[in-house]
Amino acid sequence: MTQQTESVAGTPAPGAPGPALVVRGLRKIYEAGTAPVRALRGVDLTVHAGEFVALMGPSGCGKSTLLHLLAGLDRPDEGTIALDGTRIEELGAQRLARLRRRSVGLVFQFFHLIEHMSALENVSLAALVAGAKPAEATARARDLLDQLGLLDKARELPAALSGGQRQRVAIARALANRPTLLLADEPTGALDSDGAAEVLDLFQRLHAQGQTILMVTHSREVAEGAQRLVRMRDGRILADGEPSGPVEVPAGLRVAR
Amino acid sequence: MPARDAGAPGTRGAVRLVARAELRERGWSLLALGVVLGLVGGVVLGAVAVGERTATAYPRLVEAVHLDDARLIVPADRPALIEALPTLPGVADAWLTEAWVAQVGGPQVQFMSLAAGTASHPGLVTPVVVDGRAADPAAADEVVVSERVAEHGMGVGTVLPLRMLTLEDMARFAVGFTPHGPATTVRVVGVARMPAWGQALPDVLAGPAFARALAGTGIGHSAYVRLDPGPDAAARFDEAVAAFAAAQPSIVGEYLTPGVEHPRAPDPAVQAAERALLLGVGLFALVVGLGALQVVGLGLLRTAGTARAARSVESALGMTAAQSVAARVGAAVPAAAVAGLLGAGVVVAAGTLAPLGSQARFEPEPGFRPQWALALAGGAALAALFLLVTAAAAAFAWRRRALAVPEPAVPREGSLAAVVGGSLGRWPTLLLGSRLAQAGTRRGVPPLVTTLAATAAVAGIVATVTVGASLDRLVATPERWAGGADITIADSREPDVVALAEDPRVAILAITDTSYARLGSGGTLGIVSITARKGTPPVALVSGRLPTAADEVAVNPRLAAERGLSAGERIDTLATGGAPHPMTVVGVAVVPNENHGPLGQDLLATGDGLRAVSPERNFPLLTTHVYARPGAAAALAAELGGRLELAPPTVPDAIRNLGDLGRLPDVLAVVLAVVAGTGLAHSLLVGARRLAREMAVFSVLGATPGQVRITLGVLAASTAVPAVLLGVPAGLGVARLFWWQVASTIGVGGDIAVPVGPIALLIAAVPLGAALVAAVPARRVRTPAATSLAAL
Repeated sequence: MTQQTESVAGTPAPGAPGPALVVRGLRKIYEAGTAPVRALRGVDLTVHAGEFVALMGPSGCGKSTLLHLLAGLDRPDEGTIALDGTRIEELGAQRLARLRRRSVGLVFQFFHLIEHMSALENVSLAALVAGAKPAEATARARDLLDQLGLLDKARELPAALSGGQRQRVAIARALANRPTLLLADEPTGALDSDGAAEVLDLFQRLHAQGQTILMVTHSREVAEGAQRLVRMRDGRILADGEPSGPVEVPAGLRVAR
Repeated sequence: MPARDAGAPGTRGAVRLVARAELRERGWSLLALGVVLGLVGGVVLGAVAVGERTATAYPRLVEAVHLDDARLIVPADRPALIEALPTLPGVADAWLTEAWVAQVGGPQVQFMSLAAGTASHPGLVTPVVVDGRAADPAAADEVVVSERVAEHGMGVGTVLPLRMLTLEDMARFAVGFTPHGPATTVRVVGVARMPAWGQALPDVLAGPAFARALAGTGIGHSAYVRLDPGPDAAARFDEAVAAFAAAQPSIVGEYLTPGVEHPRAPDPAVQAAERALLLGVGLFALVVGLGALQVVGLGLLRTAGTARAARSVESALGMTAAQSVAARVGAAVPAAAVAGLLGAGVVVAAGTLAPLGSQARFEPEPGFRPQWALALAGGAALAALFLLVTAAAAAFAWRRRALAVPEPAVPREGSLAAVVGGSLGRWPTLLLGSRLAQAGTRRGVPPLVTTLAATAAVAGIVATVTVGASLDRLVATPERWAGGADITIADSREPDVVALAEDPRVAILAITDTSYARLGSGGTLGIVSITARKGTPPVALVSGRLPTAADEVAVNPRLAAERGLSAGERIDTLATGGAPHPMTVVGVAVVPNENHGPLGQDLLATGDGLRAVSPERNFPLLTTHVYARPGAAAALAAELGGRLELAPPTVPDAIRNLGDLGRLPDVLAVVLAVVAGTGLAHSLLVGARRLAREMAVFSVLGATPGQVRITLGVLAASTAVPAVLLGVPAGLGVARLFWWQVASTIGVGGDIAVPVGPIALLIAAVPLGAALVAAVPARRVRTPAATSLAAL
């Protein structure tokens, strides 16, 4: 799985791994009905450049909330997030948007492709938003689709693609801006086993090329494909370590494995 | 397990149960939509009620007053005709009254006609009294007057000292006379309404006591005739009258229109106003109705959409789609009842509204006139419509999605769309906005319907304001209907004309000579010539040029439209002696008509041309038109009024009827704008809401809130811009067609007045308004994208 291939993301692995993401004391409370929901209760997390981290936990443990906060799609109530050295929790909407277009790629469980645009246009759009010129954006999109084996589907609408193909288009779109951090929220959750394996294989290839990835999943099988596994429960980090190795338990928590 | 019968009691119970749950869950939403449909539907039905009252005002008045089929004035020197009249061919019934012409005492020279019968005739000519009361049959000094006369200051209570003219006095109208008939004084006790007043039906009617007191002193008789129902009765009667007239010439024949009036013949002035009003009301009802249907339909669609999950559960429990729909219909029954009751109530309330515009002058039953049948039927229809739309919305919202893969959105290489798309690629907001707009249009009916509806609304507004502007210009420009003279003097005499021509206060002085020309194919056409005695009198030339030779004429626009006449064609007029004297049409023009009747005389000729075709005349009907210098008109009129008969400055009925439309076109345009604007805004909001996911994704990709707003603005503009581009020319085309019809019906020029300001405002306001509306859903951009995506 660590076999070197031609760069997919086009982003060279950093020579000296440093923290791509540093999270400290992150808290988030949602007002759901009459009772507030404490989605995150003080999360500390560091992801180094080039790491492939799986974030695992049961439904409602705060995985997706954490991912959305890291992408700047939502704001924390407390705590700090440093993405590529930039503190994002206090940035305004404009600067957050610019940060996303420069540093973050997002992949969703249900793809969230724009149904009325072709595969090529979906990918090109992300490159254009990131500031590429039209010709560059198209070339970049074609290159990505080619590397993901979808060039022959470039003119197809998402509705004409299989689930696995749609998720590959979504991954290509997430890579279009050459992101520092690729965030994936249950990327295999809506796929059959073949599709899930295809996506996991792709993530591993990207990781091998040096792409930093943080992937939320509740599938143990998928999580084991990552380099590092972080477990969450009730809005806290429960354990952190290699998927198949011993886990490091943060002080004050008891882990049942 | 045997399949349960759909109509089995258990299944019906399940439907009732679901309906009750639905009522609890969505009852208030349904009620709100029911109220909207009831109120707006009621307004539409109310418009129908007012339209019906407007459209039927004239025929109802015709029936209420027992309008005669034919009428004529018989001069006193034709006694044989008046004696024979009840037995002439085609006559079923006749009412003979005596007719007088009287000089009204006072500082101004003024004449008026009166009629009175020694007995009333309940089946013929019974005007509706709208103010005061009818004349007492036993009172010789009481009269009722027409509304037209009352508007000129002779309302109830006015006392009129009268001096009657003899037939001989009348024959000397053109050369001057002193009345030799008896003197009397009458008092106006009522104002009466009739569909048509005219020569043979004077504006002043007295009772039997008056007729008996002054018996035998009139200038003749006014006869009102009910014709046989046969198709040729009118022709036979006219022919018989003509034969009598030919056999027995009258000394006042030149002052009285030969032939018979047929008051039941459609009045083009009434028809034109009625057509404009009904079109306006119809347009109003259509736009408001479609707007309401759109709002209620989309509302019910959204309500049904929120019940999609419930439908899934019902389906899992074995309920068919029809049963689920039936449950929704059941839940909608209370709201449907409210819609029906409200709608019926509005229709009943609309009974307080008078007929629109000029048609109010023909209403025989002023006041509250509820239309119970329409209220009941309309209320029931609204309730049924609400249930029907509820069922259709549920069926549509729950339909199975088509599995067919749509065509790729990407345009073919080299196509215009590809080129445009390529250039848009420079701006991702435009690329996404245009793609979503393209896809939306191709994907389904609603966006196309929205664009078409917006186009229709823009066209309707443009057409309405253009017709309104054309109407305003016509009413405000007397030259367009051959009016505009400050002073009109009946029966011009040369010494007066010479004096006026030398008067420095007179800017323009024109003499019109009015007669009629006989046609080789039968019938007559009115003809007039204009002689300028000082300055150049204005003539409303619509097209072509004015006649310059004795065999040339310009025709009235109405005549041109009726007979399809245009420049170069010939009219088979006969010379005075009866020999053919064809005249060539050289133009279309509106010229004064000194006779009561349709606006504008049929033909305009040179003086020689008129004399060549008109019958022998002892006293030509010459009228002087004075255009005074600024500020001099009032003093000049006061001075002339003491010794000459000045025609009161009146606006022709045709123009008055159109003028009575008042601000109706503007009101209609505003209503159209409000309804269409609301509908468009609603559609744009709903459409933008459907794209919340795409906008959230765009935001995730790094689009700033401003870029998202621009994208939504592009989407809104994709609806608004085509509406303007197509709607404005379409509206101008409709206005041109409609105005041409109105104008040619009444006999004026059919060129439209384009209100540049309002149209420019509309062109700017529609896209701007759409962009502002797009700003409302764009506020959702403030909501974190994560929340937006999580909610989908």
